[in-house]
Amino acid sequence: MILYSFIIIPLAAGILIYLVPKRQMIRFAFLLQLGLLGLSAYNFIMIRLEGPREMVLGGFEIIAGISLRCDTLSGALLILTAFIFTMCYIFGLMDRLMSNLFIFLFLVLQALVTTIFLSRDLFNIYVVTEVSTIIVAVLIMFKKDSRSIYDGMLYLITNIAAMTFFLFGTAFIYKSFGTLDIDMIEAKMHAVANPKALILPFSLIMTGVCLKCAFVPLFSWLPKAHATPSAPSIVSVILSGLYVKCGIYMFIRMREMFMPAIAIDEVFLYIGIATGIAGFVMAMAQKDIKLILAYHTISQMGLILMGISYGNQFSYYGGVLHLFNHAIFKSLLFFFAGIIISKYKTRDITKIRGVFKRMPYVSVMAFAAMLGITGAPLFNGSVSKYFIESGLEGSIVEYEFILISAGTIISFIKFSQIFPGNGSEGKIRVDRWKKAAVTIMGFMCIAMGLGGTIIIGAVFNYEVSINAAGYARNAAIFLISLAGGYFLYTKYLKKTRFIREGISIELGVNEIGICIAGFFAFITAAAYLIK
Amino acid sequence: MQKLKEEKKINFINAQNTSIIIFFIGLYGLCARRNIIKTIIALGIMSGGVILFFLSINRTPGSMPPIFIGEVPVPADPLPQALVITAIVVGISVTAVALIMFIAMYHKYGTTNWVKAMKHRMERDKE
Repeated sequence: MILYSFIIIPLAAGILIYLVPKRQMIRFAFLLQLGLLGLSAYNFIMIRLEGPREMVLGGFEIIAGISLRCDTLSGALLILTAFIFTMCYIFGLMDRLMSNLFIFLFLVLQALVTTIFLSRDLFNIYVVTEVSTIIVAVLIMFKKDSRSIYDGMLYLITNIAAMTFFLFGTAFIYKSFGTLDIDMIEAKMHAVANPKALILPFSLIMTGVCLKCAFVPLFSWLPKAHATPSAPSIVSVILSGLYVKCGIYMFIRMREMFMPAIAIDEVFLYIGIATGIAGFVMAMAQKDIKLILAYHTISQMGLILMGISYGNQFSYYGGVLHLFNHAIFKSLLFFFAGIIISKYKTRDITKIRGVFKRMPYVSVMAFAAMLGITGAPLFNGSVSKYFIESGLEGSIVEYEFILISAGTIISFIKFSQIFPGNGSEGKIRVDRWKKAAVTIMGFMCIAMGLGGTIIIGAVFNYEVSINAAGYARNAAIFLISLAGGYFLYTKYLKKTRFIREGISIELGVNEIGICIAGFFAFITAAAYLIK
Repeated sequence: MQKLKEEKKINFINAQNTSIIIFFIGLYGLCARRNIIKTIIALGIMSGGVILFFLSINRTPGSMPPIFIGEVPVPADPLPQALVITAIVVGISVTAVALIMFIAMYHKYGTTNWVKAMKHRMERDKE
């Protein structure tokens, strides 16, 4: 029953909290989260000891019942889910925002995200993703600000269109295989005589999943949704830190499922490179603190995709590890952005000054996250980037990888202009719960940097070690990029119109629809030609 | 010869091909219509195509519903219908949510046009 309890407990608690209108219920929700965190850790240990766990509701056979399956990757993602949600409760414990309705939506979203990680049935994944899309859209427009309504609407329409593609692909798969269970389909995939018959379902499903992951050219909904002005920062944390990982997780599973029949990893590799570059270029041009972080999410998604689809074992492990690392440092950065926005009442980084003097403690923790995302030695990003790069070594893709890392560094040099300044307005008080959340996340950045190999060992059951010479080489590349980026930024880029005034490319629903159709045609053509 | 051609034509117009065409008509609506309500309708058309596809797959001629006692000659596959019911329910709720959001948006912006709505939103960004 343990797998079901991950879904039922948050749902039941959410309804209970909604029905009992007491302010203290947030404490109850917080304690519940701690319990779920412990339970997911226990679950992970049991899976490590006993192997993957599988459960079918009602005692039917797998083909007939609703089955949940948990291997080490899903187990680790369950821990991540519980951890990020716990941090959000700690961060918002004293906030007036955390009303009972908000907690209800939050708990339901948690149950749905957990189901995406556990379910092995294509149709269930569709239903759960669709419902979670609605919940996320409601959370985006929670404050009913006039801008966030447009953003939420754009998010809802584009994501539903994408999931309709996914459903259509599922229908094709059911027609060909007569089952919806991912593992069974994967087993039957070897026996497919004519893989060309699977190109259409492949491209339909991949179009849906790639929009969820925000790859080029399907990313323009993401910055709006993740950085909408009035959305509470906790919502941004959940979306950017956790929810976008559902897309990547689905991508990993679908890629594995189609692997025996259709493998167009090289196409996805180039999509990953384009995503990485587009993400940081757009991030450099922004002045809005949340938009910068949201565009970096796109860039990091590109890095993860590069790692996954390069076809090397180490870069694959690095890509998956980067997924966890990104969740940690991006959540911390959005917490930081939330504190800044609530204290400075502005989101424009050119107007925010003296953060270090006014909030020294929080700033130090934000530095940890910035060093993590740029891949500084000893911090978490460096380990995953090391593994991705060790797989790429010697190929031309490595230079593109270094370019994306350097671009991230330049963008964060621009971001860090908020820190200096005399801070003459006096110190800002940050409540201790927010400080606690930020502290835990900051230390996690360092802990995952030191223990990155342990995570890979635990998730993939494969011992990896870091080669000191290779790591030193990466550290040298980091320092050179940092120095070069600083020089380039202060001497040259800072004065360009691109950085000062920024650009904004706004795609409406129609344009995103055209992008979806184009992406679908592209994937179909690629699968057809490569096969 | 003429008859064979006719037969081929009729074979082409089957549920599966129709559903694919309906799906892409919906996609066209999503790409080409600027009216927000029409976009929501286009999404409905897309999911309508998928529903038709689900209903038409795995049908064996001469099969019986699998609720017999005793021997069933050829049981029909009940799963697509079960899936379709869920897909319809999900589609309806999504349409309802989208329409409610549209009403809220209309109260704020006073337009049913995506381009104008985007302009309003961008103007508020600059304020």
